[in-house]
Amino acid sequence: MTSRERVLTAMRRRQPDRPPFDLSFGFSTAQLQAFRTRTGADDPCDYFGADTRMVWPGPTRLTTDFSDYLGPLPPGTTIDEWGLAHVPTSSAERDHAHLEGFRHPMLHLESAAAADAYPLPDIDAAYRYEPVREEIARIHRRNLAAMAMLECTVFERAWYLRSMERLLLDFTDGSAFATTLLDRITDLRVAQAQHYARCGADVIAYGDDVGTQRGMLMSVRMWRTWLRPRLARAIAAAREIRPDVLIFYHSDGDVSAIIPDLIEIGVDILNPVQPECMDPAALKRNFGDRLAFWGTIGTQSTLPFGSPDDVRREVRLRIETVGVGGGLFLAPTHVIEPEVPFENIAAFVDAVRDEYA
Amino acid sequence: MNAESTASHIALLRQAVIDGQAGAAAAATRQALDAGLPPRRLVDEALIPAMDEAGRLFECGEFFVPELLVAARALKASQALLTPLLAGSERASAGRVAIGTVKGDMHDIGKNLVVALLQGGGFEVIDLGADVPPERFVAAVADAGADIVGLSALLTTTMLQMKSTVQALEQAGVRGAVKVIVGGAPVTQRFADEIGADGFADNAAAAVALARRLMGRPA
Repeated sequence: MTSRERVLTAMRRRQPDRPPFDLSFGFSTAQLQAFRTRTGADDPCDYFGADTRMVWPGPTRLTTDFSDYLGPLPPGTTIDEWGLAHVPTSSAERDHAHLEGFRHPMLHLESAAAADAYPLPDIDAAYRYEPVREEIARIHRRNLAAMAMLECTVFERAWYLRSMERLLLDFTDGSAFATTLLDRITDLRVAQAQHYARCGADVIAYGDDVGTQRGMLMSVRMWRTWLRPRLARAIAAAREIRPDVLIFYHSDGDVSAIIPDLIEIGVDILNPVQPECMDPAALKRNFGDRLAFWGTIGTQSTLPFGSPDDVRREVRLRIETVGVGGGLFLAPTHVIEPEVPFENIAAFVDAVRDEYA
Repeated sequence: MNAESTASHIALLRQAVIDGQAGAAAAATRQALDAGLPPRRLVDEALIPAMDEAGRLFECGEFFVPELLVAARALKASQALLTPLLAGSERASAGRVAIGTVKGDMHDIGKNLVVALLQGGGFEVIDLGADVPPERFVAAVADAGADIVGLSALLTTTMLQMKSTVQALEQAGVRGAVKVIVGGAPVTQRFADEIGADGFADNAAAAVALARRLMGRPA
């Protein structure tokens, strides 16, 4: 099987030659430097032979000035196209997304009119998908699967702009501000999903973190009111263009409570299935006929703190309990943080391959 | 004022805070004060039990982060009216807690929930914010007299800073004067034991119970 066939087969819940794998959302900065020094290679996905590659929209031509929204910022701060300010922390890993602070440009806005007037990016513009089409074609020529990134789909993007606490208060208060902001973001996501589907993506990766280690961040009722309809709209938009495109949904934490809803609105693949707070084998038993699982190898437990043997055991266990009949894509549950030993990454990849060698 | 009326004022305020109704909490506070109820009594019998109940509902999965946030907002609306009326001697707290997210880590939602429930539970809280270097925790103990230091982290990477912070407290000679409690998604009791912390809690309500135990009070 080629990598692409393997991904499509397994994620459509049929038995592949071996489970597909990748390295999740990549390596943290220090980890990537250590990898390059050690191997002399540039790209971990190429080096280890991952089955997928990710694509993002091409760069924007807009040069929006967000200074009125952000005010004075500490040195070293960068501002992205959404107007979110990324503030460096004391960590040495300065360009690692998990180790930076945010300044939220919409924190002090009050009215729905202000939410409507905020300058959102042109992530829906056709010119930004010309490079995506070319990149997907290149990925397919290599017989790899192309995964188009639509992460931070609605909720995360909205709270990055608003702040999580303000947005959750907006939800509780039923604010028109939140309705306007979420609808505007969803409109962009609809266009983005359709572009990706037209460009030939195999998988579209949606995601909003709505889980905590102990269950949902918000009640299922609140999620259904504010987020489910918008996520459903962004998924339906892709399906309208390409009915068989695979829909991947990412949320950290334990989101068991909304799995039936996710299936109903068209999610095919759940990621990352953190084994620290969800039981992958139980999920397979309960939902394996309708849902595939992507991830399951703990970056909070086994990868940083286990031995290479522990990693191999975890991979074997997943193949036995989740991989039967397809439906399993093995990956670390998140970014590989600096404290993960190289030997554990190598053990992960070796175990995936050895199982079916 | 009769006992029935007193009980009803207290119940009204308590329920307004649990329900996260800031306007109703402020109104209930004003009405209770107008009726002659002492501010300290409203704190002890309405606000503290209300936030304890919000924490309990969070712990058992009935409340989620938004419900705690609005309860904390309602608590503040009432406290804004009551605190200026409390004489110095009446402000006696359940203990002084210095709390922060450890160095390198900016994740503060979990920490903020613990702050809200500790404040609601009658603790005096020194909120050191996020990305807090060990020396600032040391200063909170040495200079500000914190009884408890609370350390939060979301990542396995930054979790290791908890160990450095405990060591910094030891090196500064103040470890014996303070209890250290830890929490955050990747943190476990085993990790807490390994780094020599005095306690671990896996959720915000449990953190308040832990702090009370460490202060020698019933949880």
